[in-house]
Amino acid sequence: MKFFSQSFLYDDNWPIVSLAYFLRYPNPYASHVLSCDVISREQTPTGTLLTTRLILKRGNLPRWFPKQFVSRAESWLVEESEVDPYGKIVKCRTRNLDNVKVMRVEELVEFRQTEESKTLQHTEVRITSGFGWGLTKRIETYGITKFKQNIQRSREGVHLILGLIRQSRLQPM
Amino acid sequence: MASSLSPECTPLKTTYDTCFNAWFEGYLEPAVSKTPAERTAYSKEKADEFEQKCGKVWKDYKACVQNAMKASGLEGALQQARDEHSLAVPPKAESSGH
Repeated sequence: MKFFSQSFLYDDNWPIVSLAYFLRYPNPYASHVLSCDVISREQTPTGTLLTTRLILKRGNLPRWFPKQFVSRAESWLVEESEVDPYGKIVKCRTRNLDNVKVMRVEELVEFRQTEESKTLQHTEVRITSGFGWGLTKRIETYGITKFKQNIQRSREGVHLILGLIRQSRLQPM
Repeated sequence: MASSLSPECTPLKTTYDTCFNAWFEGYLEPAVSKTPAERTAYSKEKADEFEQKCGKVWKDYKACVQNAMKASGLEGALQQARDEHSLAVPPKAESSGH
C-alpha cells in the first residue's frame, strides 16, 4: 500500500469553494471525465447532504503494463460525499469499482473553513495493488506518481470554476 | 455539465444539474450563518423547496440512470461497492489528525 497526503489553502470561503468543487465537471483540466451521474442524494435529519455519484474516467495504462489483464482503459469510480453546511465541512471519498485487483485507489478529500474564513483542503490517497507477478510495487508507485501529477490539474480545474462563480455573481441579475 | 453514462439520460441530467446547482448555491450560503436553533426549520424549508422545484426531474433522471445501469450490468458491481453510503458513518481513524 502506498499513501500520499497533501493540504492546500484556498483564499475563498467555504461555501464558494464547496460549490466549485461540486460543479467541477466538466472543465478543460478534466477532459478524461467521460460521464458523471448522481445516483443517490438525500438530506439527512441533521441537515447534511449525502450524495453518491458514478463517474466514468478514461485511464491511461503505462506502456509496460500487460494489457491482457485489463479489459479496457476506462474506469468506473464511486464518489460519496457529505456536505455539512453547519459544521462547514465537506467530506468526499472516491474509489474505483473495476480492476481493483490490479489497483485499488481510495481518495479522501475534506474541505474545512478556517478561522480566517479561508478554506483548507486536505487530500489523502491510498493505493493498493494485489497484482503480484513482481509488479505490485511498480503499479503502486506508478499510481502515486500519476496521482501527484493529477492533483495539481484537479486544483486548477476547481480554481477555474471558482473564477466563473465569482464572475457570475458580479453580473446584475 | 458532463454527460450521463447513457446518452438518452443526458437531457434529463442537464435539467436536473441546472436545477440542483441553483438550489445548492442558495442552500449553502445562508446555511452557514444559521444558528443551531434555526437549522432544523431551515433544512426542512430547503428540502421542501428542492422537492417543489427539482423533485420531478430528479425522479425522472434517477429512473433513467437506474434503467441504463441495469441494462449495462453495472448495477451489481455498484451495489456491492456501496451497500452503505460509507460517509453516513464517519470513516474511522482515516480522516482524523492533520
